[in-house]
Amino acid sequence: MLLFAICLRRRLTLQCSKPQQNYSVTPKPPTLEPEVETMANFSIATVFIASFSLLLSLTHSFSIENPTDRRILVLLDDLALKSSHSIFFNSLQARGFELDFKLSDDPKIALQRYGQHLYDGLILFAPATERFGGSLDLAAILDFVDSGKDLIVAADENASDLIRSIAAECGVDFDEDPSAVVIDHGSYAVSETEGDHTLIAADDFIRSDVLLGSAKIEAPVLFKGIGHSLNPSNSLVLKVLSASPSAYSANPKSKLSTPPSLSGSSISLVSVVQARNNARVLFSGSLDLFSNKFFKSPVQKAGSSNKYAKSGNQQFVTELSKWVFHERGHLKAVNVKHHRVGETDEPSIYRINDDLEYLVEIYEWSGSNWEPYVADDVQVQFYMMSPYVLKTMSTDKKGLYHASFKVPDVYGVFQFKVEYQRLGYTSLSLAKQIPVRPFRHNEYERFIPTAFPYYGASFSTMAGFFIFSFVYLHSKVYLQ
Amino acid sequence: MGKSPTTKDDAQALFHSLRSAYSATPTNLKIIDLYVVFAVFTALIQVVYMAVVGSFPFNSFLSGVLSCVGTAVLAVCLRIQVNKENKEFKDLPPERAFADFVLCNLVLHLVIMNFLG
Repeated sequence: MLLFAICLRRRLTLQCSKPQQNYSVTPKPPTLEPEVETMANFSIATVFIASFSLLLSLTHSFSIENPTDRRILVLLDDLALKSSHSIFFNSLQARGFELDFKLSDDPKIALQRYGQHLYDGLILFAPATERFGGSLDLAAILDFVDSGKDLIVAADENASDLIRSIAAECGVDFDEDPSAVVIDHGSYAVSETEGDHTLIAADDFIRSDVLLGSAKIEAPVLFKGIGHSLNPSNSLVLKVLSASPSAYSANPKSKLSTPPSLSGSSISLVSVVQARNNARVLFSGSLDLFSNKFFKSPVQKAGSSNKYAKSGNQQFVTELSKWVFHERGHLKAVNVKHHRVGETDEPSIYRINDDLEYLVEIYEWSGSNWEPYVADDVQVQFYMMSPYVLKTMSTDKKGLYHASFKVPDVYGVFQFKVEYQRLGYTSLSLAKQIPVRPFRHNEYERFIPTAFPYYGASFSTMAGFFIFSFVYLHSKVYLQ
Repeated sequence: MGKSPTTKDDAQALFHSLRSAYSATPTNLKIIDLYVVFAVFTALIQVVYMAVVGSFPFNSFLSGVLSCVGTAVLAVCLRIQVNKENKEFKDLPPERAFADFVLCNLVLHLVIMNFLG
């Protein structure tokens, strides 16, 4: 494309400068008439921009076919975070993400331009920022998540109100006391320097292979920061790392006058939210969780004799970020088909008591391509106000799920519904409408067995009538 | 014995008087009565069957019951018209009454066959 543009320019240049070509002592550079020159420049420019943006959009954007995010905006309080958290950032870049680092009060921050999102993910490592620069504010961030993009937010003990309100909008409530941190006298990390037990070693992970990967995290995770709580009736938030039952959230420097509002395992240290549009948000109460220092340090939990040479932070953070940026646990369902048993094409209407078969293909994104999703609990409903048929689908292990059942004895407009929500996976919600008609008048059985007595009674009445009239007419003869 | 008549005695006396009165009716009326009893009996059987099994082909049930009840009604009409003790139909020839009976039954059974399904 570029070469073509360059050749075009040279051709235009040569054509227009032919009459002036004279190879004298000083070769003059070819000149163009002014209007032709601007026209040439303009067309070259448009071709150039078109090709560049086409190339850009093809390789670097988030699309339905390629759900892993590519461009991530990282907002930092302090550019020193770039080096103090370099292992985390480098691992993201090694997985193919483009990180764009900006200071949180940079006035040129923009998530959208002319309605198009410039980034597919946002990392907020700016806990103390009261106000972001540029056009970014609470509403813009929530709009970003509402459009299906992912977010990682890390807070720490100087978390500003802005970070707290972002979390509150997503269902995660940080402790209201601004000076409170999580203290755990039962499972703190044993170290020579920290004496107030605010550095804790947590190993109460959520049990989910989708969120945390199939390899078990052996070493506890080091955490130093604030805790949050989740509303138990909220079905979209998940506690990924909970505090131990002996933890509580309070100011370490002052004496406790009232019992702490957050305590025990209801304190969540790291939680994730999967929104209904499948956007994924990660909230962590500790920015140091992601730091090089915690990644590399050895850890020993108080009260246990196991000393681990390396904390579980790096594995925990890497696996969780894979989930957040849709490299794992992202499903798509395609090719919904249904037909009568024995036929292949899809009818537009079914009849009651028909046998039909429903097929759907479900794939899981593995980070680079779509793999067949294998599970034994995908169900299809035949639904009209309430499910008349609910069947678990069987799979051929290559992503095709099928179920066959008999249409119920009720006519109306039904829907084939697949509602699949599992912890850590994107939710699948498919609905396909299909009408069902009753029997036509010539599709009934000719003689209904239940009605034989009625047939018999009618015929016997007729016979009785004949016999009676015969007897009555001849009664004078027979019964005189 | 000076006992006052009990209800049992009364019932028995009633029954005997009815029986003796009935045996005085002409034979052709007795034939019609027999036919009516047969029709009503068939209708009762069908109703009991429907109560047991359910009214699934309701049209068949209706047509069966209607055939019995309709023919019973027509037979009763015939009996009224043919009975010589009936002053109202003194001038009606019994053959005419019987012809009406036959025609109405034919129409009834035509309807029944159509509605039976």
